[in-house]
Amino acid sequence: MHPQTLRILALAAALLATVLFFSTQIDGYLSERMFTRISTSAAVILPIAVGQAIVVITRNIDLSIGSTMGVVAYLTGDYLSGHPELHPVLVLCLAMGIGAGIGAINGILVAWGRVPSIIVTLGTLALLRSFLVEYSDARTITTASLPQWLVDLPQANAFSIFGIDVRVTVVLALASAVVMGLCLSRLRAARRFFAVGSNPDAAVMAGINLPMVTLLAFVLSGALAGLSGFLFLAKFGNITVVAGMGFELKSVAAVVVGGVSILGGSGSMVGVVIGTVLVDTIDNSLTRWELVSEFWRDALLGFLIMAAVTVDTFMSRQLSRLSRKES
Amino acid sequence: MTVLELQHVSKSFAATQALKDMSLAIEPGEIHAIVGENGAGKSTLIKIMTGVHQPDRGEIRVGGVAVTLRGTQDAQGAGIAAIYQEPMVFPDLDVAENIFISNRAESAVMNWRRLYAEADLLVAKLGVKLDVRRAASGLTLAEQQTVEIARALSLNVKVLIMDEPTASLSAHEVARLLDIARALRAQGVSVIYISHRLDEIFQIADRVTVIRDGSHISTKPIAEVTPEGLVHDMVGRAIDSFAVKTEASPHGAPVLQMQGLGRAGVFRGINATVHAGEVLCFAGLVGARRTDVALALFGIAPATEGEIKIDGAPVTIRTPAEAMAHQIAYVSEDRRKMGLAMTLPIFANISLASLGKLMGLFGLINAKAETAMAETYRKQLAIKSADTRVEVGKLSGGNQQKVMLAKWLETKPRILIFDEPTRGIDVGAKAEVHNIIRTLAGQGVAVIVISSDLPEVLALADRVLVMREGTQAGLLPIEEASQERVIGLAAGHDMKGAA
Repeated sequence: MHPQTLRILALAAALLATVLFFSTQIDGYLSERMFTRISTSAAVILPIAVGQAIVVITRNIDLSIGSTMGVVAYLTGDYLSGHPELHPVLVLCLAMGIGAGIGAINGILVAWGRVPSIIVTLGTLALLRSFLVEYSDARTITTASLPQWLVDLPQANAFSIFGIDVRVTVVLALASAVVMGLCLSRLRAARRFFAVGSNPDAAVMAGINLPMVTLLAFVLSGALAGLSGFLFLAKFGNITVVAGMGFELKSVAAVVVGGVSILGGSGSMVGVVIGTVLVDTIDNSLTRWELVSEFWRDALLGFLIMAAVTVDTFMSRQLSRLSRKES
Repeated sequence: MTVLELQHVSKSFAATQALKDMSLAIEPGEIHAIVGENGAGKSTLIKIMTGVHQPDRGEIRVGGVAVTLRGTQDAQGAGIAAIYQEPMVFPDLDVAENIFISNRAESAVMNWRRLYAEADLLVAKLGVKLDVRRAASGLTLAEQQTVEIARALSLNVKVLIMDEPTASLSAHEVARLLDIARALRAQGVSVIYISHRLDEIFQIADRVTVIRDGSHISTKPIAEVTPEGLVHDMVGRAIDSFAVKTEASPHGAPVLQMQGLGRAGVFRGINATVHAGEVLCFAGLVGARRTDVALALFGIAPATEGEIKIDGAPVTIRTPAEAMAHQIAYVSEDRRKMGLAMTLPIFANISLASLGKLMGLFGLINAKAETAMAETYRKQLAIKSADTRVEVGKLSGGNQQKVMLAKWLETKPRILIFDEPTRGIDVGAKAEVHNIIRTLAGQGVAVIVISSDLPEVLALADRVLVMREGTQAGLLPIEEASQERVIGLAAGHDMKGAA
């Protein structure tokens, strides 16, 4: 069996096991309410996980996306309070545009400034947060200043299936993953992300425009962080300067658990979606689980990242041993 | 009408002038060999032709028109591509995608089915069996090279530069590669063939250019040159081509014994003894699993069957540390991956395997002793570098090889394993490495040399162990070893007694 298929199956099994475990621990766990709770919460994370995956595939990392999300949520909310008549599609474009702009700054510094991405995005992570504090003057965006359609958006149903409601926000987030997934496997231009991450030297030798591919990855990551920011704004309505804080950790966890190689070059969007759902299911379930203090949630996230990478390394070593035996 | 022309090209890096007023003209459909010692400027020349570097002065003309090549993409657009000594593949992508990765003629949306079909076709054209859906990560060097050639073919290039293409291939694959080069020529493609192996050049080249110290020395039709003349032009002095050894050197007590040595699924049944002062050469085709025997002896991929004895006593070697404790050293084939820390300076690489000796007060490294140690080797092995603080990645292949050798010599090994010690290094440096190996054996070290270069095997070995498909095909004393005999054993039929 193809290693990637095996990985997806293992992930799906882990997700199933997690759900079964919590259903024995938490009363009324397998309910519509819980599905809505987890699916809408995962929907906010999924776009940044998709963006993070693209960046990680190119052998980089984007630590700034939590701050990008916060800045986008705040600026978009701020603008809407002055221009409530703006068309919803344009609002979405505005949010993703701001994100893409921030991503472009990261990308330019990494691609042409030759600064390692971990440094650049660690810098913008802090810079953007400080900018937000300064810009907002500690004011909070409240639902009162937002147009009604946006406040209603999180409760809006796209469709219902077997009595389970699937929210519009969930469909939006899934759409971003499906579109990017199709691009990554079907578009020649998107295959370059894998090439660049797999062997940067060979990519240059093969005539691939390495800086351009890197820039594109960060712009996409920024734009998707913009989408997450928009969903965050819709979901919570009240935006303070700490909006999106810590989401970079969640995105890295989702990506790594989802089987994207932290060394670049491989990964799939199916994996990222399952990884995101798994990470968020655990995160949400822990808050309802009386046995464990809520403060352990971050610790568990950290543990998951380490465990995923460890298991991944172990598995690929075993697989390469197996394939060597066959040949 | 030339297809590619360099006119008075010069290029400098900091203080070094890599190319001086270099002129070169490539005719359509010719195989044009370029020879020169390491550091002669071949790499820079290739990088200028493929757009990686731009000339400081001078001009590049493609089909008579002056062009500026701002990168490999430009060069490919102009119909120039290169394949390198160290293949450049994408380990996470499959073979087919590796072949077509830079092909701009392909559609924007991937048609995977067609991609695989076309890749199959191209690979078949090369006469190779290769599953194009396989990830490139598991490919051997020879297979990776096939992928690279297929990639260049898919680009419909007018000029294909082959940089040391046969350095890692054995007789069988070399012959196939030369056939491919001829087929390209028949289709009107010009091949620029860069190799240290003069016999190959005389087999296929139409013309040969010699460069030395960044300057053009001569370009002649192959019929007008002799090997001796070429070597003379390359080094600027006459050099002895290495003589074939006719009898074994005197040697001492058995040091290393392998009895039925094997590793499940990889190799099996290796029986040989190496004595002090003896050179045992492993010959065979690429893929005969010779390197795996070395990896087992050095504990990287330990043996699972049979026995290793050192000085007659059975030992277990499960890690490189255990191997080093038995005074075994392994100078690997893949300098980049297993041998050297490319970003560290020369001295740090040399001292890496013997830091224990340099420890002083509170376990700190004695920097003075470390530098002195490196300096000794720089002089002794003639490592070409102003001082030992230079990053190893900036040295030429031959000099990197010497640094790696210095690292292991400092561990004072009793058993020294060389894996393709002269792969991709020039005639002069090759002779130096051979001398070092002979000197070490003369000092009583038990030496194992793995080599795909038959003349090298016959020049160095006291005994030749021929491997085929993971088994021992024969163990010949040097008196009985001939090129024909060794190739015969490696390919699967013993030609003992045949003419």
